[in-house]
Amino acid sequence: MKRALGCLSLAAFVLVLVAAGSGAQDQAKEVLKLQLPKPMFVGTPKNIRTPNLENVTGKARGPFMVPVGTVLLSAGKPVTASDKEPVIGELSFLTDGKKSGEDGYYVELGPGPQWVQVDLGKPEALYAIVVWHYHSQARVYRDVVVQVSDDKDFVSGVTTLFNNDHDNTSGLGIGRDKEYIETSEGKLVDPKGVKARYVRLHSAGNTSNDMNHYVEVEVFGIPAK
Amino acid sequence: MTKKGYRGLFFCALLGALLFRTVRLDVRPMHHDEANQAVKFGDLLERGEYRYDPQDHHGPSLYYLTLPVARLLADRTLAATDETTLRVVPALFGTALLLLFLLFAGGLAREAIVSAAFLAALSPALTYYSRFYIQEILLVFFLAALVASGWKYLQTRSLRWAAVAGLAAGMMYATKETSVILFGALAGAAAVDRILRPKAAPREPWPAAAVIGHAAAFLVAAFVPAWLLFTSFLKNPRGLADSVLAFGTYFDRAGQAGVHTQPWYYYVKTLLYSRFGHGPLWSEAFIVALAVAGSIFAFAEEPGKDGHPRLVRFLFFFTLLAAAAYSLVPYKTPWNMLPFYLGLVLLAGNGAGMLWRAGKFRIVKVVILALMAPGLLNLAAQDHRANFVDYANPTNPYVYSQTSLDYRKLVGAVEGIAAVHPGHRNMLIKVVAPPDETWPLPWSLRNYGRVGYWTDPAAAGDLKEAAVVISSAGFADPVARDLGPGWQSAFYGLRPEVVLAIFVRQELWDGYVRDRAADNPSRRGR
Repeated sequence: MKRALGCLSLAAFVLVLVAAGSGAQDQAKEVLKLQLPKPMFVGTPKNIRTPNLENVTGKARGPFMVPVGTVLLSAGKPVTASDKEPVIGELSFLTDGKKSGEDGYYVELGPGPQWVQVDLGKPEALYAIVVWHYHSQARVYRDVVVQVSDDKDFVSGVTTLFNNDHDNTSGLGIGRDKEYIETSEGKLVDPKGVKARYVRLHSAGNTSNDMNHYVEVEVFGIPAK
Repeated sequence: MTKKGYRGLFFCALLGALLFRTVRLDVRPMHHDEANQAVKFGDLLERGEYRYDPQDHHGPSLYYLTLPVARLLADRTLAATDETTLRVVPALFGTALLLLFLLFAGGLAREAIVSAAFLAALSPALTYYSRFYIQEILLVFFLAALVASGWKYLQTRSLRWAAVAGLAAGMMYATKETSVILFGALAGAAAVDRILRPKAAPREPWPAAAVIGHAAAFLVAAFVPAWLLFTSFLKNPRGLADSVLAFGTYFDRAGQAGVHTQPWYYYVKTLLYSRFGHGPLWSEAFIVALAVAGSIFAFAEEPGKDGHPRLVRFLFFFTLLAAAAYSLVPYKTPWNMLPFYLGLVLLAGNGAGMLWRAGKFRIVKVVILALMAPGLLNLAAQDHRANFVDYANPTNPYVYSQTSLDYRKLVGAVEGIAAVHPGHRNMLIKVVAPPDETWPLPWSLRNYGRVGYWTDPAAAGDLKEAAVVISSAGFADPVARDLGPGWQSAFYGLRPEVVLAIFVRQELWDGYVRDRAADNPSRRGR
């Protein structure tokens, strides 16, 4: 009798455990019900067609330190590009020192991946490269890659200084640098003193259209003696 | 013009209008306003819920008229609908508008009706907004129906046309509460015409009982559809009263236009000459010039054997008054000019028709047609460019706060990421952006199971629990800080000057890039 009672107690205990276990499993499977907020309705937004010089982030870039004796090397230097016949403007606009965001100051290259290249004349130690694509409108240029080399065809001795091509559109490798919104400050890239004669900048359209634009490119460094 | 020629040419115009309005309706990304209307329609489609909003969205007719189309196409949920399902509604009304021109017979000569039909078919403005899921083209349709049935009533004095005119007036109101401006312009035009009309031989007076009966039919026919639609078929009894209270909202908005303030000559300039930056020249001066000619003919003694100067004079006064009213209101958007633009098209049709008739000899008619042909061809070319080439280009004067083509790349990226996420379309997406930088995301993400919208990053909870975070550019910095490392960010254009940021878990992004490369090794880029 005692044995039977013991067996019954054991069976009841196992049943309780199984039931509790199955309850725990049910709880584990329960779908988390989230009450997500709905979008707010709002009237027709502002229509923007007029260029302006508004800075989107509103944060000024902090001071950037360079070695004493660093000067602008790219002023008036020759520029070449993948698009030999720009849609608007001249390639010489890139190094003419004029950085206004208005019409007449930028060069427009064709759609899709394109590059421009500044020839500094001889290898120099580079300490800053600043690029202004188009700063009269809040937009982001795609797949910006900045490279330097002593080879004008960029086949050998290529150093990549900046790459935000996250999906390898340009075929130059996946980049981990961040995309950025164009402002009148331009984008500063730190070459960390690398020596090179040619600076090549790639892009592949922007968030407003598929074209590529440059207002100015400035390359700073210490002239070779 | 022979009856056969009249029918043949009118059919050609109708066919042209149908093609321009219905082909490739999905070519343009959904506009902010279209997406708002679509999501509102979704509530009606999925749950039978509609409640009139006196603050925005205008009248209910658009949603209720979309319902049968969606049902016909077997769409039971918003996710099952697409741009074509929605835009086909204004497209069909924009085409049917031409059929209403036939009712102007007796007031406009056959040549005038055919010319007006061709001008309407090829008008860039009318075509563009016939492919746009907002109320405007419906308002124009019901306005034309009101004027045409009013004209038929004057000719026949029949109870039936009085009721049809009432129905059209009621539907105008159920489409846009601001139609009261047009009712004012119509009444003003009738009054001016009566004052200036030369004294004619006295007509047999109408029996008072008939007048009262017809007026009652008009009022009942106008009231019933407006009442039923605004009250959601009596489910929201205060809907009609709310529509009257909304006048305050809309008139306040009209006076304090804010971001939509434009000078008084905005509409005239848009029609006559629009050029922005390096973009092409846009002009519908051809229609305006013909409308001026048509107006002059309205005051000439010779109305044509099958025309009547009274209708054309009425159209002239209405167009003038409506254009003045809309021009004086500081709040202006390009689609708001459509109601008086309808008057311009009819007057232009009269101008072209009268010029056609001016030549007594066949050779003179041929010369007149040859002179008008370049204008028509230019209009057709602009119509094609506006709707099939530059449909999202800000240099197009009818493109207004339009979603950029780049936005489709964002939607494509989200689709690609969902494909590699274990939960697929049930992955959690958090959108953090002010309302004016949120749309048309709710439309584009309508078939994703878990999407939340916040207007402040601090209110969005733990952003890291999401697979994808979409934020306005202004919130990109705080969102990036909250997320920390391990997230890939990218920017996409929403509208000119408005950029959205997307943040994706790095492993998902890498999977998405790998997936795409594997799918099509030759296709790279966003």
